Amino acid sequence: MPNVDSTIRELVTSKKVVLFMKGSRHFPQCGFSAQVVEILNKLVPSYETVNVLSDPEMREGIKRFSDWPTIPQLYVDGKFVGGCDIIKEMFANGELAETLGVAGAPPAAAGAAAGAPPTVHLSARAAKEMEAAREAPTDDLRLVISASFEHELFFDGAQPGDVVVDAGSITMRMDPETARRASGLRIDYLESTPGGGPGGFKIDNPLAPPRAPAVRSITPKALRAALDGGEALSVFDVRTDAERAIAHLAEAIAMNDEGQRRLAASPKDAKLVFMCHHGMRSRVAAEAALRQGFTNVWNLEGGIDAWSSEVDASVPRY
Amino acid sequence: MSDHPTSFQGSIPDAITTSIRGALTDAQVEVSGGGGHYTIAVTSAAFEGKGMLESQRMVYSAIAHLMAGDGAPVHAVDSLKTRKPGAR
Repeated sequence: MPNVDSTIRELVTSKKVVLFMKGSRHFPQCGFSAQVVEILNKLVPSYETVNVLSDPEMREGIKRFSDWPTIPQLYVDGKFVGGCDIIKEMFANGELAETLGVAGAPPAAAGAAAGAPPTVHLSARAAKEMEAAREAPTDDLRLVISASFEHELFFDGAQPGDVVVDAGSITMRMDPETARRASGLRIDYLESTPGGGPGGFKIDNPLAPPRAPAVRSITPKALRAALDGGEALSVFDVRTDAERAIAHLAEAIAMNDEGQRRLAASPKDAKLVFMCHHGMRSRVAAEAALRQGFTNVWNLEGGIDAWSSEVDASVPRY
Repeated sequence: MSDHPTSFQGSIPDAITTSIRGALTDAQVEVSGGGGHYTIAVTSAAFEGKGMLESQRMVYSAIAHLMAGDGAPVHAVDSLKTRKPGAR
Protein backbone atom coordinates (compact mmCIF):
# COMPACT_ATOMS: atom_id res chain seq x y z
CA MET A 1 0.00 0.00 0.00
CA PRO A 2 2.21 2.78 -1.25
CA ASN A 3 -0.28 5.49 -0.22
CA VAL A 4 0.05 4.49 3.45
CA ASP A 5 3.82 4.68 3.08
CA SER A 6 3.66 8.16 1.63
CA THR A 7 1.21 9.25 4.37
CA ILE A 8 3.66 7.96 6.99
CA ARG A 9 6.65 9.54 5.28
CA GLU A 10 4.83 12.86 5.23
CA LEU A 11 3.82 12.52 8.89
CA VAL A 12 7.30 11.76 10.18
CA THR A 13 8.98 14.51 8.18
CA SER A 14 6.42 17.25 8.84
CA LYS A 15 6.93 17.25 12.62
CA LYS A 16 10.07 16.97 14.71
CA VAL A 17 8.74 14.36 17.14
CA VAL A 18 6.08 11.85 16.09
CA LEU A 19 4.93 8.95 18.25
CA PHE A 20 2.93 6.12 16.72
CA MET A 21 1.02 4.69 19.64
CA LYS A 22 -2.12 2.97 20.87
CA GLY A 23 -4.47 5.67 22.13
CA SER A 24 -3.61 9.32 22.55
CA ARG A 25 -1.17 11.36 24.62
CA HIS A 26 -3.90 11.97 27.19
CA PHE A 27 -5.47 8.51 26.98
CA PRO A 28 -2.85 5.91 26.14
CA GLN A 29 -4.57 2.56 25.63
CA CYS A 30 -1.55 0.35 26.14
CA GLY A 31 1.04 0.21 28.88
CA PHE A 32 4.03 0.49 26.54
CA SER A 33 2.58 3.53 24.79
CA ALA A 34 1.83 5.07 28.20
CA GLN A 35 5.45 4.59 29.32
CA VAL A 36 6.81 6.35 26.24
CA VAL A 37 4.27 9.18 26.61
CA GLU A 38 5.36 9.65 30.21
CA ILE A 39 9.01 9.89 29.16
CA LEU A 40 8.31 12.31 26.30
CA ASN A 41 6.19 14.49 28.60
CA LYS A 42 9.24 14.91 30.81
CA LEU A 43 11.43 16.05 27.95
CA VAL A 44 9.43 17.96 25.37
CA PRO A 45 6.49 20.36 25.63
CA SER A 46 4.68 19.08 22.57
CA TYR A 47 4.83 16.29 20.07
CA GLU A 48 2.62 14.63 17.52
CA THR A 49 0.90 11.35 18.27
CA VAL A 50 -0.74 8.98 15.79
CA ASN A 51 -3.30 6.55 17.20
CA VAL A 52 -2.80 3.32 15.26
CA LEU A 53 -5.92 1.81 16.87
CA SER A 54 -8.10 4.18 14.89
CA ASP A 55 -6.57 3.13 11.57
CA PRO A 56 -5.82 -0.56 10.83
CA GLU A 57 -3.96 0.35 7.64
CA MET A 58 -1.69 2.65 9.62
CA ARG A 59 -1.21 0.00 12.30
CA GLU A 60 0.19 -2.50 9.81
CA GLY A 61 1.71 0.20 7.59
CA ILE A 62 3.95 1.65 10.29
CA LYS A 63 5.28 -1.81 11.21
CA ARG A 64 6.27 -2.39 7.59
CA PHE A 65 7.55 1.17 7.10
CA SER A 66 9.87 0.99 10.14
CA ASP A 67 10.60 -2.73 9.77
CA TRP A 68 9.63 -2.94 13.43
CA PRO A 69 6.95 -5.33 14.69
CA THR A 70 5.65 -3.53 17.75
CA ILE A 71 3.86 -0.31 18.78
CA PRO A 72 4.77 2.30 20.08
CA GLN A 73 7.32 3.64 17.62
CA LEU A 74 9.08 6.96 17.99
CA TYR A 75 10.31 9.11 15.12
CA VAL A 76 12.53 12.18 15.61
CA ASP A 77 13.52 14.38 12.69
CA GLY A 78 12.06 11.81 10.31
CA LYS A 79 14.21 8.99 11.69
CA PHE A 80 13.00 5.89 13.50
CA VAL A 81 14.41 5.94 17.03
CA GLY A 82 12.91 2.78 18.51
CA GLY A 83 10.20 1.16 20.56
CA CYS A 84 9.42 1.18 24.26
CA ASP A 85 12.52 -0.70 25.52
CA ILE A 86 14.91 1.40 23.48
CA ILE A 87 13.22 4.66 24.48
CA LYS A 88 13.41 3.72 28.15
CA GLU A 89 17.07 2.84 27.93
CA MET A 90 17.89 5.99 25.90
CA PHE A 91 16.01 8.10 28.45
CA ALA A 92 17.99 6.59 31.33
CA ASN A 93 21.38 7.13 29.68
CA GLY A 94 20.60 10.62 28.39
CA GLU A 95 20.73 9.73 24.68
CA LEU A 96 17.05 10.51 24.22
CA ALA A 97 17.40 14.09 25.49
CA GLU A 98 20.30 14.47 23.06
CA THR A 99 18.30 13.04 20.15
CA LEU A 100 15.43 15.38 20.98
CA GLY A 101 17.84 18.30 21.26
CA VAL A 102 16.66 19.44 24.69
CA ALA A 103 18.79 21.61 26.92
CA GLY A 104 20.81 20.44 29.86
CA ALA A 105 22.98 17.57 30.93
CA PRO A 106 21.56 14.04 30.79
CA PRO A 107 19.79 12.77 33.89
CA ALA A 108 21.98 10.55 36.01
CA ALA A 109 21.65 6.93 34.98
CA ALA A 110 19.55 4.87 37.35
CA GLY A 111 21.66 3.71 40.27
CA ALA A 112 24.60 5.92 39.37
CA ALA A 113 25.58 8.93 41.44
CA ALA A 114 23.42 11.96 40.70
CA GLY A 115 25.02 14.73 38.66
CA ALA A 116 26.12 17.96 40.33
CA PRO A 117 23.04 19.78 41.62
CA PRO A 118 22.22 22.98 39.76
CA THR A 119 23.05 26.39 41.20
CA VAL A 120 19.87 28.17 42.22
CA HIS A 121 19.87 31.74 43.53
CA LEU A 122 17.14 32.41 46.07
CA SER A 123 17.13 35.99 47.33
CA ALA A 124 16.89 36.60 51.08
CA ARG A 125 13.54 38.32 50.58
CA ALA A 126 12.20 35.36 48.58
CA ALA A 127 13.53 32.91 51.17
CA LYS A 128 11.69 34.82 53.90
CA GLU A 129 8.41 34.70 51.96
CA MET A 130 8.92 31.00 51.27
CA GLU A 131 9.66 30.30 54.92
CA ALA A 132 6.33 31.90 55.89
CA ALA A 133 4.52 29.46 53.59
CA ARG A 134 6.11 26.35 55.10
CA GLU A 135 3.54 24.31 57.04
CA ALA A 136 5.49 21.35 58.33
CA PRO A 137 9.09 21.68 59.54
CA THR A 138 10.02 18.43 57.77
CA ASP A 139 8.92 19.77 54.37
CA ASP A 140 11.37 21.18 51.87
CA LEU A 141 10.78 23.61 49.05
CA ARG A 142 10.03 21.69 45.88
CA LEU A 143 10.73 23.17 42.47
CA VAL A 144 9.05 21.74 39.39
CA ILE A 145 9.96 23.00 35.93
CA SER A 146 7.87 21.48 33.17
CA ALA A 147 9.18 20.69 29.71
CA SER A 148 7.55 23.92 28.51
CA PHE A 149 9.36 25.80 31.31
CA GLU A 150 6.41 26.49 33.56
CA HIS A 151 7.74 26.91 37.09
CA GLU A 152 6.07 25.71 40.27
CA LEU A 153 7.20 26.12 43.86
CA PHE A 154 5.58 24.44 46.84
CA PHE A 155 6.47 22.64 50.04
CA ASP A 156 6.38 18.88 50.36
CA GLY A 157 8.37 15.92 51.61
CA ALA A 158 11.26 14.03 50.05
CA GLN A 159 10.70 11.89 46.94
CA PRO A 160 12.97 9.10 45.71
CA GLY A 161 15.44 10.34 43.10
CA ASP A 162 15.27 13.97 44.28
CA VAL A 163 18.14 16.28 43.52
CA VAL A 164 18.77 18.34 46.64
CA VAL A 165 19.97 21.93 46.39
CA ASP A 166 21.10 24.02 49.32
CA ALA A 167 19.68 27.48 48.58
CA GLY A 168 20.93 29.34 51.63
CA SER A 169 18.45 29.07 54.47
CA ILE A 170 16.13 26.75 52.55
CA THR A 171 16.72 23.26 51.21
CA MET A 172 15.22 22.79 47.76
CA ARG A 173 14.26 19.49 46.19
CA MET A 174 13.57 18.72 42.57
CA ASP A 175 13.19 15.74 40.27
CA PRO A 176 16.14 15.08 37.92
CA GLU A 177 14.34 16.51 34.87
CA THR A 178 13.68 19.75 36.74
CA ALA A 179 17.30 19.83 37.90
CA ARG A 180 18.44 19.76 34.26
CA ARG A 181 16.30 22.85 33.60
CA ALA A 182 17.20 24.72 36.80
CA SER A 183 20.85 25.68 36.35
CA GLY A 184 21.30 29.40 36.96
CA LEU A 185 17.71 29.88 38.10
CA ARG A 186 17.04 33.09 40.04
CA ILE A 187 14.11 33.40 42.41
CA ASP A 188 13.28 36.80 43.81
CA TYR A 189 10.30 38.42 45.47
CA LEU A 190 8.83 41.70 44.23
CA GLU A 191 6.63 43.93 46.37
CA SER A 192 4.57 44.87 43.33
CA THR A 193 4.66 44.18 39.61
CA PRO A 194 5.58 46.96 37.15
CA GLY A 195 1.97 47.05 35.89
CA GLY A 196 0.82 48.04 39.39
CA GLY A 197 -0.38 44.56 40.36
CA PRO A 198 0.23 42.79 43.65
CA GLY A 199 3.67 41.45 44.52
CA GLY A 200 4.88 37.93 44.03
CA PHE A 201 7.76 35.67 43.24
CA LYS A 202 9.79 36.48 40.20
CA ILE A 203 11.56 33.58 38.52
CA ASP A 204 14.25 34.09 35.91
CA ASN A 205 15.43 30.99 34.12
CA PRO A 206 18.34 31.48 31.72
CA LEU A 207 17.65 28.06 30.16
CA ALA A 208 14.03 28.89 29.26
CA PRO A 209 13.54 29.49 25.55
CA PRO A 210 12.71 33.11 24.75
CA ARG A 211 9.00 33.57 25.06
CA ALA A 212 7.00 35.07 22.28
CA PRO A 213 6.03 38.51 23.57
CA ALA A 214 2.42 38.70 24.72
CA VAL A 215 -0.01 41.55 25.18
CA ARG A 216 0.25 42.76 28.76
CA SER A 217 -2.58 44.21 30.80
CA ILE A 218 -2.62 47.64 32.36
CA THR A 219 -5.34 48.96 34.66
CA PRO A 220 -6.74 52.51 34.28
CA LYS A 221 -5.11 53.51 37.58
CA ALA A 222 -1.71 52.17 36.50
CA LEU A 223 -2.01 54.01 33.17
CA ARG A 224 -2.93 57.24 34.97
CA ALA A 225 0.10 56.82 37.23
CA ALA A 226 2.37 56.11 34.27
CA LEU A 227 1.13 59.19 32.41
CA ASP A 228 1.45 61.36 35.53
CA GLY A 229 4.92 60.01 36.11
CA GLY A 230 5.96 61.12 32.64
CA GLU A 231 6.67 57.56 31.45
CA ALA A 232 7.42 57.39 27.73
CA LEU A 233 4.44 55.64 26.20
CA SER A 234 1.87 56.09 23.47
CA VAL A 235 -1.84 55.44 23.94
CA PHE A 236 -3.72 54.44 20.80
CA ASP A 237 -7.51 54.70 20.80
CA VAL A 238 -8.96 52.21 18.31
CA ARG A 239 -12.58 53.36 18.62
CA THR A 240 -14.58 55.16 15.93
CA ASP A 241 -14.64 58.96 15.58
CA ALA A 242 -18.28 58.93 16.73
CA GLU A 243 -17.35 57.19 19.97
CA ARG A 244 -14.40 59.51 20.53
CA ALA A 245 -16.76 62.46 20.17
CA ILE A 246 -18.72 61.14 23.16
CA ALA A 247 -15.78 60.39 25.42
CA HIS A 248 -12.04 60.48 24.98
CA LEU A 249 -8.70 60.50 26.73
CA ALA A 250 -6.71 63.67 26.23
CA GLU A 251 -3.44 61.72 25.88
CA ALA A 252 -4.75 59.16 23.38
CA ILE A 253 -3.91 59.12 19.69
CA ALA A 254 -6.86 58.29 17.43
CA MET A 255 -6.12 55.20 15.35
CA ASN A 256 -6.95 56.84 12.03
CA ASP A 257 -4.57 57.18 9.07
CA GLU A 258 -2.41 59.58 11.05
CA GLY A 259 -2.49 57.24 14.05
CA GLN A 260 -1.46 54.32 11.82
CA ARG A 261 1.53 56.38 10.60
CA ARG A 262 2.52 57.25 14.17
CA LEU A 263 2.30 53.59 15.16
CA ALA A 264 4.35 52.46 12.16
CA ALA A 265 7.01 55.05 12.99
CA SER A 266 7.31 53.93 16.62
CA PRO A 267 10.41 52.00 17.69
CA LYS A 268 9.69 48.27 18.00
CA ASP A 269 10.36 48.34 21.74
CA ALA A 270 8.31 51.48 22.45
CA LYS A 271 5.63 51.07 25.12
CA LEU A 272 2.31 51.04 23.32
CA VAL A 273 -1.03 51.04 25.13
CA PHE A 274 -4.16 50.22 23.18
CA MET A 275 -7.62 51.25 24.37
CA CYS A 276 -11.23 51.09 23.24
CA HIS A 277 -14.64 51.06 24.92
CA HIS A 278 -14.36 47.91 27.05
CA GLY A 279 -10.94 46.50 26.17
CA MET A 280 -11.96 43.92 23.56
CA ARG A 281 -11.27 45.69 20.26
CA SER A 282 -8.07 47.15 21.70
CA ARG A 283 -6.82 43.65 22.56
CA VAL A 284 -7.29 42.60 18.94
CA ALA A 285 -5.38 45.71 17.83
CA ALA A 286 -2.66 45.03 20.41
CA GLU A 287 -2.23 41.49 19.14
CA ALA A 288 -1.97 42.82 15.60
CA ALA A 289 0.78 45.18 16.81
CA LEU A 290 2.68 42.19 18.24
CA ARG A 291 2.49 40.50 14.87
CA GLN A 292 3.97 43.62 13.32
CA GLY A 293 6.98 43.14 15.57
CA PHE A 294 6.21 45.48 18.47
CA THR A 295 7.31 43.90 21.73
CA ASN A 296 6.13 46.22 24.50
CA VAL A 297 2.39 46.11 23.91
CA TRP A 298 -0.27 46.75 26.54
CA ASN A 299 -4.05 46.63 26.63
CA LEU A 300 -6.05 49.04 28.78
CA GLU A 301 -8.29 46.56 30.56
CA GLY A 302 -11.92 47.67 30.71
CA GLY A 303 -11.31 50.46 28.21
CA ILE A 304 -12.54 54.01 28.59
CA ASP A 305 -15.54 52.71 30.49
CA ALA A 306 -13.30 51.48 33.32
CA TRP A 307 -11.25 54.68 33.04
CA SER A 308 -14.42 56.65 33.72
CA SER A 309 -15.47 54.55 36.69
CA GLU A 310 -12.01 54.15 38.24
CA VAL A 311 -9.97 57.24 37.35
CA ASP A 312 -11.95 60.14 35.93
CA ALA A 313 -15.70 60.30 36.43
CA SER A 314 -15.88 63.42 34.25
CA VAL A 315 -15.37 61.20 31.19
CA PRO A 316 -18.89 60.31 30.04
CA ARG A 317 -19.90 56.64 29.93
CA TYR A 318 -21.92 55.36 27.03
CA MET B 1 -1.90 -10.45 31.35
CA SER B 2 -4.57 -11.28 28.83
CA ASP B 3 -5.03 -14.48 26.91
CA HIS B 4 -4.72 -14.47 23.18
CA PRO B 5 -6.17 -17.29 21.11
CA THR B 6 -3.74 -18.92 18.72
CA SER B 7 -3.77 -22.06 16.64
CA PHE B 8 -0.07 -22.54 17.30
CA GLN B 9 0.77 -26.04 18.54
CA GLY B 10 3.66 -26.69 20.90
CA SER B 11 5.79 -24.62 23.22
CA ILE B 12 5.87 -21.00 22.17
CA PRO B 13 8.98 -20.16 24.27
CA ASP B 14 10.77 -23.07 22.57
CA ALA B 15 9.69 -21.81 19.17
CA ILE B 16 11.02 -18.34 20.02
CA THR B 17 14.34 -19.76 21.20
CA THR B 18 14.71 -22.03 18.16
CA SER B 19 13.87 -19.20 15.74
CA ILE B 20 16.39 -16.82 17.32
CA ARG B 21 19.12 -19.50 17.36
CA GLY B 22 18.36 -20.17 13.72
CA ALA B 23 19.36 -16.62 12.88
CA LEU B 24 21.99 -16.00 15.58
CA THR B 25 23.68 -19.35 15.99
CA ASP B 26 25.71 -18.47 19.11
CA ALA B 27 22.76 -16.87 20.88
CA GLN B 28 21.89 -17.56 24.48
CA VAL B 29 18.15 -17.03 24.72
CA GLU B 30 16.01 -16.62 27.81
CA VAL B 31 12.27 -16.50 27.34
CA SER B 32 9.64 -16.07 29.98
CA GLY B 33 5.97 -15.22 29.95
CA GLY B 34 2.85 -16.71 28.45
CA GLY B 35 -0.62 -15.88 27.21
CA GLY B 36 0.84 -14.26 24.13
CA HIS B 37 3.14 -11.93 26.11
CA TYR B 38 6.82 -12.74 26.35
CA THR B 39 9.97 -11.31 27.86
CA ILE B 40 13.07 -12.16 25.86
CA ALA B 41 16.76 -11.73 26.63
CA VAL B 42 19.32 -12.59 23.96
CA THR B 43 23.10 -12.66 24.31
CA SER B 44 25.04 -12.94 21.06
CA ALA B 45 28.36 -11.87 19.57
CA ALA B 46 26.38 -10.85 16.49
CA PHE B 47 25.46 -7.67 18.40
CA GLU B 48 29.12 -6.56 18.58
CA GLY B 49 29.51 -3.13 17.02
CA LYS B 50 25.77 -2.76 16.55
CA GLY B 51 23.41 -0.32 18.23
CA MET B 52 20.41 -1.32 20.26
CA LEU B 53 18.03 -0.58 17.42
CA GLU B 54 19.88 -2.81 14.98
CA SER B 55 20.39 -5.58 17.56
CA GLN B 56 16.71 -5.66 18.44
CA ARG B 57 15.80 -5.62 14.77
CA MET B 58 17.88 -8.78 14.25
CA VAL B 59 15.91 -10.55 16.97
CA TYR B 60 12.57 -9.28 15.77
CA SER B 61 13.24 -10.36 12.21
CA ALA B 62 14.12 -13.86 13.47
CA ILE B 63 10.75 -14.19 15.20
CA ALA B 64 8.68 -12.13 12.75
CA HIS B 65 6.79 -15.23 11.58
CA LEU B 66 5.66 -15.84 15.17
CA MET B 67 4.34 -12.28 15.48
CA ALA B 68 2.49 -11.94 12.18
CA GLY B 69 -1.26 -11.93 11.88
CA ASP B 70 -4.19 -11.83 14.28
CA GLY B 71 -3.79 -15.33 15.67
CA ALA B 72 -0.03 -14.94 16.14
CA PRO B 73 1.44 -17.03 18.97
CA VAL B 74 3.46 -14.03 20.09
CA HIS B 75 1.05 -11.18 20.63
CA ALA B 76 3.49 -8.86 22.38
CA VAL B 77 7.11 -8.81 23.42
CA ASP B 78 6.86 -7.15 26.82
CA SER B 79 10.57 -6.63 27.04
CA LEU B 80 13.45 -7.45 24.73
CA LYS B 81 17.02 -7.21 25.98
CA THR B 82 19.98 -7.70 23.70
CA ARG B 83 23.42 -8.17 25.20
CA LYS B 84 26.91 -8.81 23.95
CA PRO B 85 28.84 -11.69 25.52
CA GLY B 86 30.95 -10.47 28.42
CA ALA B 87 28.88 -7.32 28.86
CA ARG B 88 26.87 -6.90 32.01
